[in-house]
Amino acid sequence: MGLLSNILFFPVTGPVAGIRWALGKVQAVVEEELTDDSSVKRELMELEMLLELGDIDDAEYVRREAALMQRLREVREWRERLGKGVSGGPVRVARSEDEGNAG
Amino acid sequence: MADLQISPVDAVGSGIAPDGGKYVYCIIRSDRQREFGAIGIGGGQRVYTVAFHDLAAVVSDTPIVIYDPTRENVLAHEFVNETVMKEHTVIPMSFGTVFRSEDDVTELLRSTYQAFSDVLDKMKDKIEFGLKVLWDREKVIANLERENDEIRRLKDEISRHTASSTYFARMQLGRLIDSALEEIGQRYVNDIHDQIKPVAVASRSNKPIGDRMILNAAFLVDRAQEQAFDERVKETSRKYEELLTFKYSGPWPPYNFVNIKLKLEKAD
Repeated sequence: MGLLSNILFFPVTGPVAGIRWALGKVQAVVEEELTDDSSVKRELMELEMLLELGDIDDAEYVRREAALMQRLREVREWRERLGKGVSGGPVRVARSEDEGNAG
Repeated sequence: MADLQISPVDAVGSGIAPDGGKYVYCIIRSDRQREFGAIGIGGGQRVYTVAFHDLAAVVSDTPIVIYDPTRENVLAHEFVNETVMKEHTVIPMSFGTVFRSEDDVTELLRSTYQAFSDVLDKMKDKIEFGLKVLWDREKVIANLERENDEIRRLKDEISRHTASSTYFARMQLGRLIDSALEEIGQRYVNDIHDQIKPVAVASRSNKPIGDRMILNAAFLVDRAQEQAFDERVKETSRKYEELLTFKYSGPWPPYNFVNIKLKLEKAD
């Protein structure tokens, strides 16, 4: 089976499978962008650098920091909504079954 | 940047519960109860220790919330670690680690006792310094144009000709400058490393932040070597005074040299 059999025997499924695949891909990319906070964190570090270098003042920092915090919160909300782990919030030592081979 | 990695399997949302939670800053060795004053995160909370045998977690009380890494919060976290470091070797926790109860903190110390003890031994009397080196790209490029014949020739050619015929010359010039910059940057970075490494116990290079930074390094230094390290960094920065900006910070807790992966999960 494979591409050739799709083309030869089920010409219709070819494009449909293709579209499904493309939609799945888009969905994954969108999810990735909604739930990845690494770019916000990088921007936050760059912002701090600008402050330390004296390129921006405290007021400017606070203004831009607020926007970044808002984005972090949005990422957190999306992660929760999509059932992904969220960093921060209360934690405890995992009492999992594989404790024996930890470390 | 903290390397004590907290990987919550699934932490809870932002529901706010009353106090009772513990914000953990770091782990130290101490066989008695310690107080560090009203300097904790969330508006000057009392900072104290929760002990297990000869280990102690430095904590303050907190509602069960997720702390945003605002400058104010991060500075509070950092200030507590700095204060504790004056008298103790510390294993820093990453920012924002909240446990639901004192029992959960004790459980952390109990279950990770051996790893914490080993790392505390290794980190005894060692501190971290950060060194970021930035350059002024335009200034370095101006230098390049003076010193590199090929680059100067291309620039002349571009300025003499019409726009249409200079397209490839411009591309070539761009590539030449990029590779020359990379080479020079690497040479500076290697030289700086070579100067400073002998007075450090260990070093680590992190990804530069922004496009002006060429070096973002952390050095682990023996307390006894602190002054020698300090002098060496200042010497090196004087050498590059005209070209580079040195941003030197510390002492920090050994964020870049402690790597304990804790298996933590959401607490209900």
